Amino acid sequence: MLCNEGLRLQACFDGEIDAGAVLEVERHLQGCADCAALLTDLEATRQLIRRDAPYYRAPAGLREGIMARFDREDGVQTPPPARLSFSRRFLSGAASGAGITALAAALVFFLAVPRPDPLAGDLMNAHLRSLMSDHLIDVVSSDRHTVKPWFAGHTDVSPPAANFEKEGYKLIGGRADYVDGHRAAVVVYRHGLHIVNVFAWAASTEKLPGEVTQKGYHIACWNSADLNYCAVSDTGLDELLDLVRLIKRQ
Amino acid sequence: MKPWLLTIVRNCFLTVVSQTKRKQDVPLPADNEIDLADPALIAGDPDPEAAIMKREDHRRLNDLLAALPAEFREVLVLREMEELSYGEIAQITGAPIGTVMSRLARARALLKKNWHLSAEGSRHALQ
Repeated sequence: MLCNEGLRLQACFDGEIDAGAVLEVERHLQGCADCAALLTDLEATRQLIRRDAPYYRAPAGLREGIMARFDREDGVQTPPPARLSFSRRFLSGAASGAGITALAAALVFFLAVPRPDPLAGDLMNAHLRSLMSDHLIDVVSSDRHTVKPWFAGHTDVSPPAANFEKEGYKLIGGRADYVDGHRAAVVVYRHGLHIVNVFAWAASTEKLPGEVTQKGYHIACWNSADLNYCAVSDTGLDELLDLVRLIKRQ
Repeated sequence: MKPWLLTIVRNCFLTVVSQTKRKQDVPLPADNEIDLADPALIAGDPDPEAAIMKREDHRRLNDLLAALPAEFREVLVLREMEELSYGEIAQITGAPIGTVMSRLARARALLKKNWHLSAEGSRHALQ
């Protein structure tokens, strides 16, 4: 892989980036022979695996046994996400003949499923985008007196950028980004091997998603002193919330 | 729910592997022996030779996948066969997203390279 756009192309191939970025990748593909060849390889490898690799499916009895145990343990253990239990209950209920009950249950589940929040999706895309190519950090520094003034010159807002290295969250820099049409300042932390992006932009009337988990990313949002903040990472939720507490306390 | 379940499966598997101290010896179903009940060999198949070649391809790919380093094989299988997102794979394997992306790229490149090498090898063997 000679071109450094390779990881972005792969992410595009895997359906992990938003429409705007897809257009950029397509434009890049027209002029880059390396990436065009890489795309052909990605397609060939996928076809090979999906066509020729053996897929071992769990026997029906095992599958049903496990699902039945989930039903028994529902309410005691952490329940699996509602989106999937909806289809599972619906299908198993319909199959066992308890159609009406299942349909009612399914409707309840359906109504209870939170709609995907566009802002959360946008934050997730911005986070993922920052991990690709070279756009994680515009200003590299672990010094709050470097990062905060940089924001003043490059973004509309200038959130505090403290270093919590002692607590395990090292300030590694800042960048300018766009979230949901706003120019946002992003404070970037490293926690172990994980990157945490803390987005900040001038608060308007939009509703913040609070705490959500989408596709393995945790997002925690709050509002403080006329700024909206959202922290995004693939680190554990508790660890992300620890950082949020540190930022709120400063 | 799938990533959550797969995380549990993966942890259980690793526990079993470490308990039995057979890290180097993970059995995979081997089917390099021609199965006499193979539908391709039962009269009626118009092209039994093509069917056997296809079986051979399956076996060769299975061997190549099995030979990949475990951390590469795992991301490749989760992405291409389970069709999970980067975030879900990161959750299951406990590796950061950036690592998932680079492992996936290397796994794909390695598999492609080995597939071509083994294709040449099997052609030479036939000659």
